[in-house]
Amino acid sequence: MREEIIKKILIYAGGLFLFAFAVSPFLWMMVVSLSTSHRFLVDGGFQFTWEHYIGIFTQSQFLSYFVNSLIIAVVVSLVVSIFASFAGYAVSRIRFPGRVAIPLFVLAMSMFPQVSIVGYLADLFGKLNLINTHFALILPYIAWTVPLALWINMSYFTQIPLDLDKAALVDGASRTKTLVRIILPIALPGIFSSFLLVFIACFNEFLFAMMLTSSPDAQTIPVGIASFSGLYGETSWGMVMAASFIASLPLIILTLVFQRYIVQGLAAGSVKG
Amino acid sequence: MFLLPVLLVIVLFIMFPVIGTIFNSFFRMLDTAGSTPQFIGFDNYGKFLFDPQYAPRFWDSVKFTLMFTFTTVIIEAVIGLMFALILNESFKGRGLLRTVILIPWAIPTVVSAVMWKQIYNSSFGFIKWVMVALGSDPSVITLGDFQSAYWALIVAEVWKTTPFVVIILLAGLQAIPQDLYKQAQIDGAKMFRQFMKITLPLIMPVLTIALIFRTIDCVRVFDIIYVLTSGKWGTETLSYLGFINYTVDLGKGSTVSVLTFLISFIITLIYIKFGNFGKTIKS
Repeated sequence: MREEIIKKILIYAGGLFLFAFAVSPFLWMMVVSLSTSHRFLVDGGFQFTWEHYIGIFTQSQFLSYFVNSLIIAVVVSLVVSIFASFAGYAVSRIRFPGRVAIPLFVLAMSMFPQVSIVGYLADLFGKLNLINTHFALILPYIAWTVPLALWINMSYFTQIPLDLDKAALVDGASRTKTLVRIILPIALPGIFSSFLLVFIACFNEFLFAMMLTSSPDAQTIPVGIASFSGLYGETSWGMVMAASFIASLPLIILTLVFQRYIVQGLAAGSVKG
Repeated sequence: MFLLPVLLVIVLFIMFPVIGTIFNSFFRMLDTAGSTPQFIGFDNYGKFLFDPQYAPRFWDSVKFTLMFTFTTVIIEAVIGLMFALILNESFKGRGLLRTVILIPWAIPTVVSAVMWKQIYNSSFGFIKWVMVALGSDPSVITLGDFQSAYWALIVAEVWKTTPFVVIILLAGLQAIPQDLYKQAQIDGAKMFRQFMKITLPLIMPVLTIALIFRTIDCVRVFDIIYVLTSGKWGTETLSYLGFINYTVDLGKGSTVSVLTFLISFIITLIYIKFGNFGKTIKS
């Protein structure tokens, strides 16, 4: 019994630490964003204000960063979901030479650090006049996230019994029809998992975004927030924290609402890898 | 046919650029108007590896990247395993904790780095305030020399990415058959013994995979370096050094990038060997 009590204490102490670990820095960000001065700890006297939240929408380009991030993330995750579904279907269903080699090749390609791709792309896109367009980010993001999506989809597709689509093929349905009518509906949770992970990865990406865009016409949230600090000389911490909070909110809500899919996707992606 | 789009984007936007980067690393390509690329063979490699003007900075960044990576990954393994073990027990509030642990994971890296920069600020940051309140010298620096910057970066990285390790480990823990623990309890094995004899060996392969992923990711760390220190105080990582060189000479930047992926490739190979080692423990 004594052991049971020690275990209980350890769980609750650790649980409390976990809660503080995960939540407190984020709460701090919120407090600073709602304070008139970011120096209230040293100067004393916290005063509540909404002005920073109004400020980021009226005095900064935050809205265009947000819209750019949203457009890019939606396009990329839709395209990647379609590409990875077709590829996942082929690899898990159709016997052909390279069935094993191709996923491994795709995985190996995803091992290259972004820095070893971005210099060449910046040069190439410069020559093609693509710099500072949505395309400049959409194209590399698709290539950069498709390996993860493929591996997640494969782990779902291989769990679907082969007999299901064999029956359809025998009945004379085409490969595409079998995929769309029979396999996709069953694999939908897996595809949705990879959709969410790709979406979040796009919102997160920084190095490509910084080197391939140059103005708020195409820049995304991470670039915008990183540049906020330098923009006005003395950093307006209240504004930066407000922008950070607004930028994080949709992702946090998405993650918490679809927690199950995200956890499954991460587990599937790495157990397979 | 079904694979064509995937292969096409991978070849066009990853394979070609990687080959192009290797190609560019043999040229001098200054970022000034009117300068044309000039073939210089292995000159760039010689510079970064041996030339006293460039090599020390390169090797310092190799050393810093590796130090940062190993410290971060070890801390994440310990905290991550601890959190995963807690979340695998049944108790009141477990659902809430399993949800909140995802918050750091969901926040964009740059946003979390900016947030930590505020917390670390040497004049008005939260950490400074706590340290002074606890009786520390008011002139203490919380982000402004090597020691402070090193730990500031590690804490920020650990905060952001431990949830990933927790999620993977929790999935691994849930796959361990409960019967094993019941049998151990009947045999009278204590909590610590159960952990050493059942949990640890069975979780080892999953832990290895999680750590491989984290190591590969950490070796290329860029975002938090850019935001928190801009490579100052000896915190330049390989990706950051590559980025800095790109802005001057595409050839030099490419050289650093090639060396970066060679180093991360070697580390991955070592880990894969080590991963098999983990599997032998299991059997």
